[in-house]
Amino acid sequence: MDNKLNSFIDKALSRRSFLAGAGSVAAAGLVLGASETKVAAASYGDTDILNFALNLEYLEAQFYLYAATGKGLAASETTAPSGYTGSYTAGTVIPGNAAAVPGLTTAQQQILNEIAYEEGQHVNFLRTALGSAAVPMPTIDLSFFGPLAVAAGIYTSSQPAFNPFASFDAFLIGAFIFEDVGVTAYAGAAPLISAAGVAAGYLNAAAGIMAVEAYHAAYVRTSLTGRAIAAGATTPTSSVYPYCGIANQVAALRATLTVGNSGAPSTGTGNTGAAGSSTSVEVNLAVPTTLTTPSTIVAADSTRALGFARTVNQVLHIVYGSPTVGVASGGFFKTGMNSIFATTTA
Amino acid sequence: MATQETQILDDIIVNSRRKMLAFSATALAGLVVGCSDNGTTTLPTASGSYSDADILNFALNLEYLEANFYYLAAFGCTINLPNAAAIAAGAPSAGIPITGSVGAAGTVSGGSKVPFTTVTAASYATETAIEEGKHVLFLQSALGSAAVAQPAINLGASWQTLATAAGIAGGSSFSPYVNDNDFLIGAYVFEDVGVTAYHGAASLLTVSGNLSAAAGIMAVEAYHAGLIRTSLNYIDPTGALGLIGLTTQISALRATLAGQVPQSPASPYDTAPDDFGLGAFSVTLGGATGYTATRLTDADATNVIAFARSTTQVLNIVTGGGAYNATTKAVVSPATGVFFPAGLNAGPYGFR
Repeated sequence: MDNKLNSFIDKALSRRSFLAGAGSVAAAGLVLGASETKVAAASYGDTDILNFALNLEYLEAQFYLYAATGKGLAASETTAPSGYTGSYTAGTVIPGNAAAVPGLTTAQQQILNEIAYEEGQHVNFLRTALGSAAVPMPTIDLSFFGPLAVAAGIYTSSQPAFNPFASFDAFLIGAFIFEDVGVTAYAGAAPLISAAGVAAGYLNAAAGIMAVEAYHAAYVRTSLTGRAIAAGATTPTSSVYPYCGIANQVAALRATLTVGNSGAPSTGTGNTGAAGSSTSVEVNLAVPTTLTTPSTIVAADSTRALGFARTVNQVLHIVYGSPTVGVASGGFFKTGMNSIFATTTA
Repeated sequence: MATQETQILDDIIVNSRRKMLAFSATALAGLVVGCSDNGTTTLPTASGSYSDADILNFALNLEYLEANFYYLAAFGCTINLPNAAAIAAGAPSAGIPITGSVGAAGTVSGGSKVPFTTVTAASYATETAIEEGKHVLFLQSALGSAAVAQPAINLGASWQTLATAAGIAGGSSFSPYVNDNDFLIGAYVFEDVGVTAYHGAASLLTVSGNLSAAAGIMAVEAYHAGLIRTSLNYIDPTGALGLIGLTTQISALRATLAGQVPQSPASPYDTAPDDFGLGAFSVTLGGATGYTATRLTDADATNVIAFARSTTQVLNIVTGGGAYNATTKAVVSPATGVFFPAGLNAGPYGFR
């Protein structure tokens, strides 16, 4: 196929997907009927999409590595690759309370090791796939968990900052902040990949990483649900195990920050709970109390049970912790992402 | 609504991706395995004669299987029957249709309600049943008049056949309907396969909306797989109960069955073995070696990307080796065996 046609198709695919927006991935059913909303079309390619994902993987990897080992990625995994000609510079990790989570059982430690390894390998995979085009790690602010918890209403600003490295349950909340977002980010990004990128295997890679993020998200949600049941909790906010309720506060904050799809989270998979707003991309955790009550491990729409997707812009709002348009830094990325998409646009 | 301009773009996109499928020498081609309808087959196909509907119908066959398993385990009935407990949990009050334009609706043999004793396993079974049922409904709705009927499904003796093939001690009497733990093992047999099936199918789809939908279902299958693997890890963290060993045996069987089917050229997302049980492995973290990690994620150990399988590989797993004759080195179509005693329901260019 000639390059001109390829280029045309690339633009068409990217533009179509951007225009289609986010939300439930199959909002338009199987008919791709994008409305012609006037949105300034950014010029970007597959490299930019993969580098956006790389920024997110840097963040996740640093969080899990600190939680598992008390240390982050090796320097060689964060600096600009050989031959890099871009303008972004390598940042540092602002550790905050970051430390190896204390008091873990052997099984818990091995699970943290696994997730840390897997997110770290995603960093390395994307850096290898991008070659000299891979952006270096931006500054990662792991002290943002504190302000985020205040914004979610979990803690007040007069209390000591929320510390996801303090205990296993606190770690689960920290992980909860990221994992469902990772699934939706890859689900939203996969259709943006160009036809040439599909042929190069990028779509397959993105889909495969999305699945791994969903495995992780299921781990976090299953752990919170199972520990609540084991502790004898009867509601998510039961005092014997309040962490499902705390996770739901995080989900509510994420919903608010998912600009354009900021409806309240669904509260159930079947008709045992509210279906949620038609624009919701979040599902609250439930605490089943009988053998016939469904759990809500899966974050998916209540009609078709399809996983959600978020646009690049919606993901930015969450990791920056801001619903404002035109924001280029903040939250976990104190000096901004190293990405062409670094500024919120809608 | 789509304008004329966007419809033209769609056509170009569809046609160009078809060409990619037919001629690409990279990852995609490895995932394209062609089954013709007369029993003879070439690997891989360059004809591109199947459509998105064939791929979605392949998925629908698998969803009929999964949904019936979970409905039987959670509610004690098949998906087509109205059931008070299922309806209370979110199932449609009239049951789920099992008829379609291709094939007569097959019956489901075997299977019974699990006498659950733990709220965790019971609530997970209930949630998963409802979600898999919704996948059936969604695919039927998306396919419209092209949707295939439910094929004949065996959820009884299949388990003993597979357990024996996996070398599981006492496999000839294994049943996933006996207790909570055995139910989780039964679910384990399906879920990771669902992920690899949707992963393999995703890049075959030509319409962007179908790709998004497949990605959405794939994410849910991965949530389910993560749920099952996490649950087994919590119940048997050290492997002392033997559940971890069972997952290793099942994964090894799946990898063997998938590995029998040649892929040319090789797919980077289907390295051998393409399946791992829950046993621990050693990893490097932050440049330091010697950490021990669980395997709650079923993915390749280097890039940590979920595996993708071709339709023939998936067929070979769900038919217990019925899709490929290892002696004559030929694809068998239609593939029959274990869960699908009469094969899948598929159109002339569909995947059987």
